[in-house]
Amino acid sequence: MDGRVNLSQVAMRFGDFTAIQPTSLEIASGEFFSFLGPSGCGKTTLLNMISGFLTPSEGLVAIGGVDMTRVPVNRRPTAMIFQNLALFPLMSVYRNIEFGLEVRGVDRKKRREKADELLDLVALGGSGDKPVAELSGGQKQRIAIARALAVEPRVLLLDEPLSALDLKLRQHMRTELKAIQRKTGITFIYITHDQGEALTMSDRVAVMCDGRIQQVADPMTLYRQPRTDFVAGFVGENNRFPGRVTAVDGGMVTLDAGLPAPLRGAAASPLEPGDEATLYVRPEQWRVGSASDSSLPFGGVIQAEHFEGAWLTLEIALEQGRTVRAHVPQALESDGVESSFKVGSACRLDYSPRGTLVLPGVERGQSDEEGADVAATA
Amino acid sequence: MWRQLHNRFGLPLTMAIVSLMGIWLIVMVLLPQWQMIDYSFHPALLPAERGGAKDVWSLTNYATFFRNEIHLAIFFKTIWSSVLVTTLTLIVSYPLAYYLAKVATPGQAALCLLLLIIPFWINEILRTFAWYIIFAFRGPLNELLLAVGLIDRPIRFLNGDTGVLVGMVYAYILFMVFPLYNAIESLDTNQIRAARDLGAGWGRTHRRIVIPHAKPGIATGCIMTFMLAAGSYAVPALLGSPGSRWFTQIIYNWFFEGGDWNQGAAYAFLLLVLCIVFVTVIMRIFKVGLGDIAK
Repeated sequence: MDGRVNLSQVAMRFGDFTAIQPTSLEIASGEFFSFLGPSGCGKTTLLNMISGFLTPSEGLVAIGGVDMTRVPVNRRPTAMIFQNLALFPLMSVYRNIEFGLEVRGVDRKKRREKADELLDLVALGGSGDKPVAELSGGQKQRIAIARALAVEPRVLLLDEPLSALDLKLRQHMRTELKAIQRKTGITFIYITHDQGEALTMSDRVAVMCDGRIQQVADPMTLYRQPRTDFVAGFVGENNRFPGRVTAVDGGMVTLDAGLPAPLRGAAASPLEPGDEATLYVRPEQWRVGSASDSSLPFGGVIQAEHFEGAWLTLEIALEQGRTVRAHVPQALESDGVESSFKVGSACRLDYSPRGTLVLPGVERGQSDEEGADVAATA
Repeated sequence: MWRQLHNRFGLPLTMAIVSLMGIWLIVMVLLPQWQMIDYSFHPALLPAERGGAKDVWSLTNYATFFRNEIHLAIFFKTIWSSVLVTTLTLIVSYPLAYYLAKVATPGQAALCLLLLIIPFWINEILRTFAWYIIFAFRGPLNELLLAVGLIDRPIRFLNGDTGVLVGMVYAYILFMVFPLYNAIESLDTNQIRAARDLGAGWGRTHRRIVIPHAKPGIATGCIMTFMLAAGSYAVPALLGSPGSRWFTQIIYNWFFEGGDWNQGAAYAFLLLVLCIVFVTVIMRIFKVGLGDIAK
């Protein structure tokens, strides 16, 4: 049996509430696959259906090509790493790791061998006799991984396991998880609301919202070619410009968004003049210059600046009342031009249409929300 | 402790608290116990003879007990029956407590707890008497069993120990359910899920995860149930037969029928020793300290 996971038309309803809309998905064997979405989007529900804690209201769950929809959780070839790890506090490290093997009737000697092997894999060799309570956060994390791997699952399910760790340790564990996944070749299904985790570790990511998968793609595609307004806004940052198409020229679209100059961008799907559409410009795509630089078509006033280390984030109110966020590299900051990037000062800006994206339709709810934000900052 | 209290409440209030506690301990707990022990080591005398030549310390009252085979038998039977009651109550309460703590929705749990508690608003003797009626030779239980066809003649439930056992399990179930419920409730549900996920069936999950975690609760429940059972008077008096007499009934007889308070005190003291021994043994078996139980 391999580690393929197939969801066919699975749906989950709790009374009147639909947690998961009918969803189909194939996760390849040995893939590092992430479900990314805000809390309440249904990603944990989906994970629970794969692990067997929940039986879908409709549809089928198959692992390695075998239908698992009605198979109870203790008979599935999956293992889960819980958000709070759920190590057994009354047992030693050894007994934790050996639990799954003990259940399977593996004899004591083989169990201990396997446990030692796994402790070496997670770089904790020799700490088998310690009580779980004596371990640090990062060590507990590794023991949880070792305990799950001990049962040789085809699929390892990880439910936001890094969320309790501090930033440095979290970044370190990302590398480590990826390395363990490569070494073992097990399918990893990872749940997170942290796009950094999803983008850095995954082969593919499914972005979820309101019980629906919005897009499944590799991290690069997700960032560069989001297919829906939600993905464009949730993965990375984006400035939205809703408007009406005035001209179409090959793949490029000209948009009237009520700004002094028409906006241009690359269309993701065919559009006709007169269609409603939204242009997305990432903060790093802006070029910000001094107020006297007339080659830049848009004028604005800097409302706030946030120092982010390698770059500076500026909140710029355009003349028409819309606020955009723009990243300015720190190098620019230090070469003398910086005097123009002060809160309250005017500036001019432009973007290169080539890397931007135009999606059909206008998300009214979202742009209203943005308007409210602007009002709040002003 | 003195320093802590002093820092928090100041001198006058601390003095008041400590002396109230002291008075309560001495007057309500230590003095009556001491008086009872003192009684048990003296012979029963007429008021005129007290303080006279015959008023000496002696072990006669205890010797009486150890020479009386019937009383010895009843004593051991009381221990054995109380252990049985405790075990039965544990078996009945564990699934109920687990259901309340981990399976039921908050609404179901509240309803279930309410149904458990309501009967306890009624006096224990009246509740026991209800069982007396249920178990009667021509009572509803026999009628039901006859109607269903499980038996073809009524059973005398009140003749043997059945009535006493059932009555006690019913009377003391809350004292088992609540400590168990508290202990199981505090278990992280993900522990149960993790065990299941690693392949454990329900039996093993309970044996390895839930029960070890609930040990202090099980110990507390068992100790309370055992002490209540061993010290019960109403249930064996109402639901028992002459063949299922309880040790408390013997004590009662010494005090109020025999009029021999000194002999009764010796018997009561033996029961107290028994309970202390039982508590100690249970704490050893479950490897819990007094602190775990007090939680």
